[in-house]
Amino acid sequence: MAGLGLGLAILGIAIGLGLVGYSAMQGMARQPEAIGKMQTAMLIAMAFIELVFLLTAFVLAGQFVQMK
Amino acid sequence: MRGLFEIGGALFAASESHGGGHKETSFVGLMVYLVILFAAIFGTLALAKKGLSERVFKNWFTSRFEQLYLFIDQMCINIIGAHGRQYVPIMVGFWLVIFFSNLISLFFPYAPTMDLGFNLALALISIGYVQYEGIRANGVFGHFSHFAGPKLGVALIPITAMIFVIELISEIMKNVSLSVRIYGNIYGGHEATNAMNDLGSKIIPLGDGGYLGIPFGAFLIPVKLLTCLVQALVFTLLTCVYLSLVTHHDHGDEHDHHQDHAPAGAPAHA
Repeated sequence: MAGLGLGLAILGIAIGLGLVGYSAMQGMARQPEAIGKMQTAMLIAMAFIELVFLLTAFVLAGQFVQMK
Repeated sequence: MRGLFEIGGALFAASESHGGGHKETSFVGLMVYLVILFAAIFGTLALAKKGLSERVFKNWFTSRFEQLYLFIDQMCINIIGAHGRQYVPIMVGFWLVIFFSNLISLFFPYAPTMDLGFNLALALISIGYVQYEGIRANGVFGHFSHFAGPKLGVALIPITAMIFVIELISEIMKNVSLSVRIYGNIYGGHEATNAMNDLGSKIIPLGDGGYLGIPFGAFLIPVKLLTCLVQALVFTLLTCVYLSLVTHHDHGDEHDHHQDHAPAGAPAHA
């Protein structure tokens, strides 16, 4: 069950990171002079999405240890 | 918080049990890595200081540090505003400690930022400094009323209390998020390298039962270098954002003040 949860979390953040990258690239292509600002916002958003996965991984690692 | 540390300890124990064996380090071991970290930082700074007397910085280290300074200077001014330049020293400090410590994780089996306690200390310093700056900018009451959200009126006092509690929790969670982010990235990078090394450990049989392996994990080093940079950047960036959130209020008031005293002919809201 924990493995399934980890897989679901990976699926979720893959979609999330893909959406962030997609929209950031689209914005950069439309407005190349705003690339600097967009990169900053993109990195912040990516860090927050990544954090969700890291928290999931932490909780599930505890469950894995309990199961073994 | 306590549960988080128990889980982190369990993670260490798990990595111990399946044969990695070098993930856990004692307090003395962490101090050894801190000595390596500070030797690296101050050694590079000493090399950079040599080139400071020239009119044009030709020393490689000096020009890199100049670029770092200009980059963080621009970041502070863009995010915090015109008064952001006073925060450049602490930002450069965070950047150097995190980046060099992440670089150590590329060459050594352990690094200070692979230790959850070290990261939590960094996050506590960062968030504590943000609180200090917020109190200095808005006063004690102003800073804590900032947690309570917008003024809603007497009938909605329960909502305001709830917002206050939630904001306090999110303030504590900022520490957790800052520390777990670095820890997870650096520790995870190490685990991924280990897994890829295991993958390539039995490629060519040597005949006497031994194997010649290919260290596939080495191909991850460029990605890990990128992670090192991005994690140092994200930590300083988020500290900047938190600082701008707590210090922008006095500027907003000043702005309104100016608008109040604008000449009558000027449009009220441009």
